[in-house]
Amino acid sequence: MKGEKKFLAGLAAVAEAARLADVDVISSFPIRPYTGLMVDLSQKVANGELDAEFVHAEGEHAQLAIVHGASASGARTMTGSSGVGVTYAFEVYSPISGGRCPVQMVIADRTLDPPGDFGSEHTDVLGARDQGWILGWAETPQEAFDNTLIYYRLGEDQRVSLPQFNCQDGYFVSHIPGEVVIPEKSQVEEFLPPYKLAKPLDPLRPYGHGPQIYSDQGPTLQLQRAILMDNAKEIIPEILNDFNKIFGRKYDSYIENYNPNNANICLFINGAHAQTARFAIANLKKQGVNLALCKLRFVRPWATEEIAEALSQYKVVGVVETNNSFGISREAGVFTPEVAASLYNLPESKRPILISFMAGLGGEAIRLEDFYFMAKKLADTAARKKIEKEVYWIGFEEE
Amino acid sequence: MSKPKIPKDKQLPEGGIVDSPKTEQEQMTTGGWRILRSIINEEECTQCRECWILCPDAAISIDKKGNMKINLKYCKGCGICAANCPVGAISRVPELDFDEVTIYRDLPY
Repeated sequence: MKGEKKFLAGLAAVAEAARLADVDVISSFPIRPYTGLMVDLSQKVANGELDAEFVHAEGEHAQLAIVHGASASGARTMTGSSGVGVTYAFEVYSPISGGRCPVQMVIADRTLDPPGDFGSEHTDVLGARDQGWILGWAETPQEAFDNTLIYYRLGEDQRVSLPQFNCQDGYFVSHIPGEVVIPEKSQVEEFLPPYKLAKPLDPLRPYGHGPQIYSDQGPTLQLQRAILMDNAKEIIPEILNDFNKIFGRKYDSYIENYNPNNANICLFINGAHAQTARFAIANLKKQGVNLALCKLRFVRPWATEEIAEALSQYKVVGVVETNNSFGISREAGVFTPEVAASLYNLPESKRPILISFMAGLGGEAIRLEDFYFMAKKLADTAARKKIEKEVYWIGFEEE
Repeated sequence: MSKPKIPKDKQLPEGGIVDSPKTEQEQMTTGGWRILRSIINEEECTQCRECWILCPDAAISIDKKGNMKINLKYCKGCGICAANCPVGAISRVPELDFDEVTIYRDLPY
């Protein structure tokens, strides 16, 4: 890997990536923990490292409206939020993706109120998963840095032209420093061409965004947006191929199927806790337990076939839910039904048993012992070949 | 997953993003509501476009020289442009001071 090594937390890494991507317009409003990003960006603007318009908004709703307009006029934009800030901006998400504005919003997850909790839980931005935005999590500060560039390239591609939620776990990634390789400016320029919008707003060539339509025009516009998300899925491998080649990394496209020990049980996981899971897998190997890991790289677009193919090699799959959806089917988080739906069309002999683990809610750390517990439950289920319990609440179950 | 193709008779501009209307809807003119007419002093105007942005009826356009032009067919005379002009280049003159007082469409009564 070429470039300068730095010791940075996730948000500082994203700020470095924004500097290299030469972002034009930034809109900010404070909320912990994502604010760290704006601290770094405003410093970069103030000391002349980054030539960008830095706008202080009066709230998250305004933050998104500002970058919506800026992006529609052809500026590369960055904004961000956490927790209840993400939900306060909700109204503007669909107009931005509907208007084909490839805004990038950096999310450092925070638990939704009440009560006030700074801990990381994915429920905040997963609430906006149906709004036509690219959505995915970084596991480390390095991945947060890389995702920033990858998401801009993907979202700004003329075949996609969609906004992106560039997510990382609050505190676990956003505020714990890790090694980040900062590439050369020339590498970034090679990977990420300047932003070009098909129809930028211009006083001399005005366009109308979001006009009133008749209901019978609705299906076409929704199908258009669905096709864009399809296109995004189609070009992700191409973009990551380019990225890996230019920056010397080894990212998988949609999911990382990590199975070093040829296991028949697997954890399906999203975000920072995959780090701890890797340690658990290494330790369990010493005790003779083989556990695999399937880590999501993109939540939207969801890679149905690829996930089904990856999981079909296991007997039992445990979905680690760092989010909550009250009253959802199977009464776990939002990933269990999505994984179940992805597996549904597999022949029965290839379809793994699916169980869920509610873990890390409210930002609690998922400890190694918790992963050992999950491995035990997965192995037990595999031996029994029958599901005993669909959902385990980590910390509340009897051994 | 492959999505269906959109047939010709159902196609729409991508995202519903359309060019600004080029023609005016003659049945819906609102210029007759106006009591005070905004007059832009082009010598004082700095072409900052504040009024162009703020006009709630998009009745102000920019001509080739960059000057602001008010479309009197649609300007309701709300005065937001005059109140916000940073250099005070917009004054408001009673409509009855003008020789031509135009009613832009035939009244139905």
